[in-house]
Amino acid sequence: MAEPMPKQQSAISSLLLRSSGIIFFLIFWEVSSRMHWIDPYFLPRFSAVITELWNLAEDGTLYSNMIISSARAIGGLAIACVAGLPLGFAFGRWFPATSAVLDPLLRIMSQVNPFLVLLISTLILGLGETTKFAVIAWVSIWPLLFYTMTAVRTIDPLLIKTARSMGISESGLLLKILIPAALPTIFTGLRISAGITFFILVAVEMLNASSGLGWYEHNAAMNFEINGMYAGASVIVLLGFLLNRFFISLERSLFTWRAPVEFLLGGAKTATRLALWRPGRVGIAAATLAIMGLFVSGSFEIVRVNTERANSLAGIDAGKHARHLGSEVDK
Amino acid sequence: MAPHQNPKIEIRNISRTFSHTTVGSDGSREFTALEDITLTVRTGEFLAIVGPSGCGKSTLLDILAGLSPATSGEVLIDGVPVTRPTLNRGIVLQGYSLLAWRTVRKNIEFGLEVKNIPKSERRAISDRYIALVGLTGFEDHYPHELSGGMQQRVALARALAYDPEILLLDEPFAAVDALTRENLQNELLRIWNETGKTIVFVTHSIEEATYLADRVAVLTTNPGTIRQVVDVQLPRPRSEGDIRSTPEFGRIRHSLWNLLQNGGAHA
Repeated sequence: MAEPMPKQQSAISSLLLRSSGIIFFLIFWEVSSRMHWIDPYFLPRFSAVITELWNLAEDGTLYSNMIISSARAIGGLAIACVAGLPLGFAFGRWFPATSAVLDPLLRIMSQVNPFLVLLISTLILGLGETTKFAVIAWVSIWPLLFYTMTAVRTIDPLLIKTARSMGISESGLLLKILIPAALPTIFTGLRISAGITFFILVAVEMLNASSGLGWYEHNAAMNFEINGMYAGASVIVLLGFLLNRFFISLERSLFTWRAPVEFLLGGAKTATRLALWRPGRVGIAAATLAIMGLFVSGSFEIVRVNTERANSLAGIDAGKHARHLGSEVDK
Repeated sequence: MAPHQNPKIEIRNISRTFSHTTVGSDGSREFTALEDITLTVRTGEFLAIVGPSGCGKSTLLDILAGLSPATSGEVLIDGVPVTRPTLNRGIVLQGYSLLAWRTVRKNIEFGLEVKNIPKSERRAISDRYIALVGLTGFEDHYPHELSGGMQQRVALARALAYDPEILLLDEPFAAVDALTRENLQNELLRIWNETGKTIVFVTHSIEEATYLADRVAVLTTNPGTIRQVVDVQLPRPRSEGDIRSTPEFGRIRHSLWNLLQNGGAHA
């Protein structure tokens, strides 16, 4: 791009300026707890939360629950993609009449509260992992489906006409015109889906799980492990933020060919952030592999933890995990 | 360049009606976009089609391209009826319609990919056409980084790259400023001269049609019919000197203007 890049120095100072709010907030948190402006029992010191976080990281609790939650989120999103993307293309391009008929139904379905789905799916599928995947897939399919339909419908007809004039096949049209033209909008849908997924996942794990970040958080709260509760909450907030940033930077680096509207809106600061991560094909492949690896290791961890919990429920090794079972047995 | 006398495109009694059902009325209403168009384009000829908006110019071009069928009549290219789009006709539409996610080079190679030409050959061909339209140095730019005139050159190079015998241009220069437009017109004439393509050029500008074409077909509106085909006997190359201010240019321009004015009144 022809735009001159701003100096490195101004990028760093702008980063500092932009994080000053966060730094101030954390200092205020620490001070208000230390000075007993707030009862430290309800709000432990930030440093105490960090210490607890360190402990959780050291004994493996954090890692175990993080990969478990990740596996559930990735699995649910994957199901939503596998179902939603082809449906979106089909409705958007090949069956406009069907989609017009089904549209009101789909809009109503998309408004069905995920917790109702959780109840119904627990009734049908039971308390296991399938229910969690089903609820997450249900929640994340709608933005994907609607964004894909819109993306496919709003492709410039002249592009299709030009390609057609060259005698392109329907599959060639799909691969070379429809998918690349629709991809940016689909990605926005995916980002929104991922965000909602993460929100709902934590809630579902609180209600209906014996592992994962949501479960950990709920369990800590029920056992009055206040430091642990704040530590878990910090991780959840941070992960949600990072997930969102990941998708935004992925979008920016994948779709550099788009007219950079951000330059006009955000000025030069956006330009530096734009250049932070340009993964290229190797980077994308690595990220895909990492996500798949996370899913696989998380799945194994789910199986391991579930077996362990089942064994302790059956009375074997009961003493060791008695504390965790408090909330489980009530169900 | 003296066009050959053998016909390249024969348009025989083409009509095109659109029927659209309106909500609340029973049955559908018919709208005749084109009525009984007969026209022959000679090999290597530069034919312009002028007419007011809504006269069915673009519909006619779609039929020539094989993108939509005629209601009646037929189009023959080299004596063979047109039934579907093929790569012996290159089309350039108004508004560039470039693939925003592809660089200049990859846009120009698009038709070659459809034609399944191997990568190394594609590169050699795109190099040639990038040079032909004067975009050397911009191969790796994306469309949004180019000016309107440059984007139009890419669209032209893309249509030329798969070497069609016929170029169908639908108001290709409508979206660029006057100066760029004149440059592009001269460039098109140079490319036409170098490649010997048969060109059908749709425009609403009488001036542009006069400047570029060997013959100008004047279309009237509602329904679209051919009012007259005017011979433009201006010397070539036309980019030399200021041909637009010669009396002959003015005379032809004026007669086309008259035809269009009366054509409008007749409806």
